[in-house]
Amino acid sequence: MLITGIKSKPIYAPLRFDEGGRYHLMLGLGVGREPLRRVLDEVRDQQALAVARTEVLYVPAAGDTGKATDQFALPGLAAVCLFGNSNALLEDFRARLGRSLMGTRLYVAGPESFIGMAMKVALDFNLNKDEIRAEECGTLARRVRCIHCRAITEDVKTNIAQCIGCGLWLLVRDHYSRRLAAYMGVMADAEAPGELPEIREVFL
Amino acid sequence: MSGGQTIEVVVKAIEQVTPLIKHFQLASPRGEALPAFSGGSHVIVVMRGEARVHRNPYSLLSAPQNLDSYEIAVRRMDESRGGSHFMHDRLRVGSQLEIAHPVNLFGLDKIARKHLMIAGGIGITPFLAQLEDLHGGLVPYELHYSVRSAEHAAFLARLQAREQEHVHIYYDSENQVIDFEGLLSKQPLGTHVYVCGPAGFIGRVLDAARGCGWSPSHVHWEQFSAPPTGDVFQVQLARSMKKIVVPQDSTLLEAIEAAGVDVPYLCRGGVCGFCQSKVIECDGELLHYDHFLSDAEKAGGKTIMPCVSRARANHLVLDL
Repeated sequence: MLITGIKSKPIYAPLRFDEGGRYHLMLGLGVGREPLRRVLDEVRDQQALAVARTEVLYVPAAGDTGKATDQFALPGLAAVCLFGNSNALLEDFRARLGRSLMGTRLYVAGPESFIGMAMKVALDFNLNKDEIRAEECGTLARRVRCIHCRAITEDVKTNIAQCIGCGLWLLVRDHYSRRLAAYMGVMADAEAPGELPEIREVFL
Repeated sequence: MSGGQTIEVVVKAIEQVTPLIKHFQLASPRGEALPAFSGGSHVIVVMRGEARVHRNPYSLLSAPQNLDSYEIAVRRMDESRGGSHFMHDRLRVGSQLEIAHPVNLFGLDKIARKHLMIAGGIGITPFLAQLEDLHGGLVPYELHYSVRSAEHAAFLARLQAREQEHVHIYYDSENQVIDFEGLLSKQPLGTHVYVCGPAGFIGRVLDAARGCGWSPSHVHWEQFSAPPTGDVFQVQLARSMKKIVVPQDSTLLEAIEAAGVDVPYLCRGGVCGFCQSKVIECDGELLHYDHFLSDAEKAGGKTIMPCVSRARANHLVLDL
């Protein structure tokens, strides 16, 4: 069974500012702060108009108590909003997209699971690849969808993981669904029940 | 596609809809259903004139649900290479024609959240079929149609039969112009813009879209302009071992076809990339007029789109 080398596995690149856009919406989680700061440095070099058309939505890491203005010290930004968790951020993000106009560019920085959830919302608004830039940083833990019971198991760090829904042991493949923002997990011991490969932490 | 099967059709009706535009209804001579198509499709009409064969693309403007006949509209061009004059002057009700199977290079985006259609003059034709393809009106749309005057506005009745808030008509004669910037700067996320009309018109829409920050994947355009004419040049076809001359008012593709060599094509307008051919040798300059190859590919001189492009060279060899 093909586990790696699957084309659907997303490829990320370092965040760069997109001068072609008119409005810029930046999302970050935890260590995603560094890439966002880097892009904001690029925004600073643009005209004041670009700064005034840039919004930042951010979830600080636990224990990070800095103020919003300290996190992203660039005067004139249209908005800097901090959230307690990614669900709250994504809810606000969805409402914002509903009010946004063509010409908007999306920047996402954080762990892949966060990027995936943000992209899933963006997909509902028909944002295409050429309107979204994402940089992966932080944990490589995966959202895994059980292809048998369809439950999603969050925060999977191991090559083999137990499904939170049906309890099967799942082999985590590189097969990724943008629609579900999850990797596919298939029963690992279907042919020889009880015989599992060595379980290793591989998504750290 | 070229060389592939064509469909035999007979002209069922002809109507002069504006001083310059004739409307043709084409049907199977045996009364059979024609192949299915989607809004935005075009067909290549093969016109066998006395001196030469013309193959011109025309958008289908009839409803895709109706396969009893296809409808096309042809604007009489002042400087016709012969195609539009053939259609206007030679065809009668009952005339036989060959057409290629419909191909769609200008379809509506299936997951768009809104469709913004912009037509200039005869560029209205693909939109007439697209309007019929809106899947019950679940996706919001607007059509903005710019035309010389009411007298020149084709298919006004069809457009005015639709809800007023969707269709906006602008007459040059009354100094009404579409504010492209204004229009493109206030569209909700997930909108797709489609533009068809004269080259300058399309160019202004594309510029406005870029200026308003639109990403290319949301911008669609189609233009069927007459391919450029130019100086006579010679070309050698390596595989079929033929040496041919491309006349001034004939395209490279037409000259190759006239020599009996088939090149696959779809749009004959330098857009689809289907007829792309490999250049083996060229001691001069390739004159690229297509919208398909990248600037780097054009500069590279290794490939050419024979449907619109030409050459200024003494020795040109193609891998055909």
